[in-house]
Amino acid sequence: MGSIRDSDQQDWSAHIAAVSARADRAAFAALFGFFAPRIKSFMRRSGESESQADELAQEAMLMVWRKAALFDPATTGAAAWIFTIARNLRIDARRRAQREDVVATGDIDEEFRIDDAPGPDALLATVQSEAQVRAALAKLSPDQRRVVQMSFFEEMPHTEIAQTLRIPMGTVKSRLRLAMKRLRSLLGEAS
Amino acid sequence: MSVMHHPPESLVTAYAAGTLDLGQHVAVATHLVACQACRARVRSVEETGGAVLTDLRPTPLSALAFSQVEARLSAPAPARSAAPALRPHSSEIPELPGFVRRYGFGEWKLVAPSLEVRRITLPHESATRVFLLKARAGTRLLEHTHSGVELTCVLTGAFEHDGGRFAPGDFDFGDGTVEHQPRIEPDRDCICLVAMQGSLRLNGMLGRLMQPFVRL
Repeated sequence: MGSIRDSDQQDWSAHIAAVSARADRAAFAALFGFFAPRIKSFMRRSGESESQADELAQEAMLMVWRKAALFDPATTGAAAWIFTIARNLRIDARRRAQREDVVATGDIDEEFRIDDAPGPDALLATVQSEAQVRAALAKLSPDQRRVVQMSFFEEMPHTEIAQTLRIPMGTVKSRLRLAMKRLRSLLGEAS
Repeated sequence: MSVMHHPPESLVTAYAAGTLDLGQHVAVATHLVACQACRARVRSVEETGGAVLTDLRPTPLSALAFSQVEARLSAPAPARSAAPALRPHSSEIPELPGFVRRYGFGEWKLVAPSLEVRRITLPHESATRVFLLKARAGTRLLEHTHSGVELTCVLTGAFEHDGGRFAPGDFDFGDGTVEHQPRIEPDRDCICLVAMQGSLRLNGMLGRLMQPFVRL
């Protein structure tokens, strides 16, 4: 995990907006340069092969290009939005690996849509700047941070994380609970 | 309507991280329809996912990766007709998330006195079975434990057990350590969505007698 560098503090939201507004290829190239290699790492860490991870990273970036108009910087940070694209592609890839009858990724987007819910998400502490979220993550204890990070890569999170870290499952759960609680309070303080 | 009982942090995190099995995902999503606070929790996990992604050490892509993607930028997105046509939402159970209302539903089946079950067919393999459970008003369910994790989200009506009162939107987490004997409130039937791993173990004499017939 790298430390926070200046180059990471870019406003990627503006790049996505530029892609959306005028099909800005230079902005897309910059997004690709930063995110594609990280999406590839995300896929590798999730157990995908080298070539599959490469392909999924390409596919994710193509989705960023095609879906840029759906990105709403008022509700989501750029990295979080790109994370959800990568997450959904990973689910799709796993299902395709299990069965022949291919599902469209649209299915998975739908599975995360809870749009029948009444009322605006007023409780949503709007978007934190990405730097704030990363700063909060950096403030966790190394043990807590590790459990949080691993939660994003492992299938069946508790058992696998417990095995990898050689700690009881109850410890994984309580550590994660404390870590998320701390993260949310750090973010609450920041807003 | 205020929701009192929420999924544990580990489930909310796994939901937003995309590592949850589809059956369990359905149960959490059903709770999210009713719970604004947990929708905000999901958002904060997704923001954390963005931070985790940003912090990863980059892995260089293959040499041609960018030009391959660039070549596809001008091409129109593939027509959605390639995907199987989606069923319309059923409007019958508005408490369920839209995507679940497209799934196949079985008929209501009586599985025990005052207890009916309606299976939901998931479109993808899942280690978790999902069904609707309807218990008649005033019913006292058998004391039971679970051999696996059981997630319950109340759709209509309410029940009570040692853990408290569970009304629409409330989420009940049951695992092998939980023994409970829910009592359905007397004024109306209670319908829940249940996502269950393993099988249900009914305790007590009647439970042992009935178990072979209760294929939940």
